[in-house]
Amino acid sequence: MKAWKLPLPLVLLFLGGCASEVVRYPVSLSAADRQSSRQYVVLQSASIRFDSGYERTLSAGTELVEVGTIKQGRVLRPVSTVFTIEGAHTHEAYPVVSDGRLVGFYLPVEGAFSPLSLSISLPIQERRP
Amino acid sequence: MNLPRFCAAFVLSILVSACATGPKLAEMKSTIPTLKSDQGRIYFYRSSSMLGAAIQPSIHLNGTVVGDSKPGGFFFVDQAPGAKEISTTTEVEKKLTFTLQAGQTRYVKTVIGFGIVAGRVYPELVDNATGEKELEETSYIGQPLSRP
Repeated sequence: MKAWKLPLPLVLLFLGGCASEVVRYPVSLSAADRQSSRQYVVLQSASIRFDSGYERTLSAGTELVEVGTIKQGRVLRPVSTVFTIEGAHTHEAYPVVSDGRLVGFYLPVEGAFSPLSLSISLPIQERRP
Repeated sequence: MNLPRFCAAFVLSILVSACATGPKLAEMKSTIPTLKSDQGRIYFYRSSSMLGAAIQPSIHLNGTVVGDSKPGGFFFVDQAPGAKEISTTTEVEKKLTFTLQAGQTRYVKTVIGFGIVAGRVYPELVDNATGEKELEETSYIGQPLSRP
């Protein structure tokens, strides 16, 4: 039998609606004091590939503000831009950083943490007012 | 009229009728009410591409229909702050979740994608700069607004 070989992006395109749910676990956010929230800027773009097959890029120059912490790390909300992660559905997501590495995302609506299978380096620098 | 011409005219009339008609943002901006301080605003829009133009699902916001996804159309809703879930149902149901804060404006773009049997319409959250720019190209399809 002749083997059918479709490129992965084409398969994802057609099966997009059948993608699995974003993996996530409920977490408790300790909110940061709004007045003293630290602000950061991403120094180097980071390409993120999710287990669902979707990809996202956190661009260099993206400004982030710390909104709090969860057990997995500091939760940083993008400023002046939006960031979402996608599986069967799409969720607004805030990067979670620990020891200079992006370890996953906090989903503010779901109050949940979605981990990355492999953390990636995310160089950020604090912005002084 | 021969058959090919009739078919072409028929398809063209469907595509034309599928597109949004209404004032452009610049023509009606002055009638858009000022956002109340205890509410946030969500703009919904879709670019005027003819691809999948006949697929125009309802847009649900937290389970309530707030409008339709029409090519080249936009509308807005003002809401209390909190968690928002946008969904569209075509071949599959696709949801988008995000937060809305008081005084905040957010932009949700509905885009057409390929499906197995038919096209699918997805809601996407876009940043404000992109939303503001792309909204300029669309026509208002929401509830009639009175002049302030």
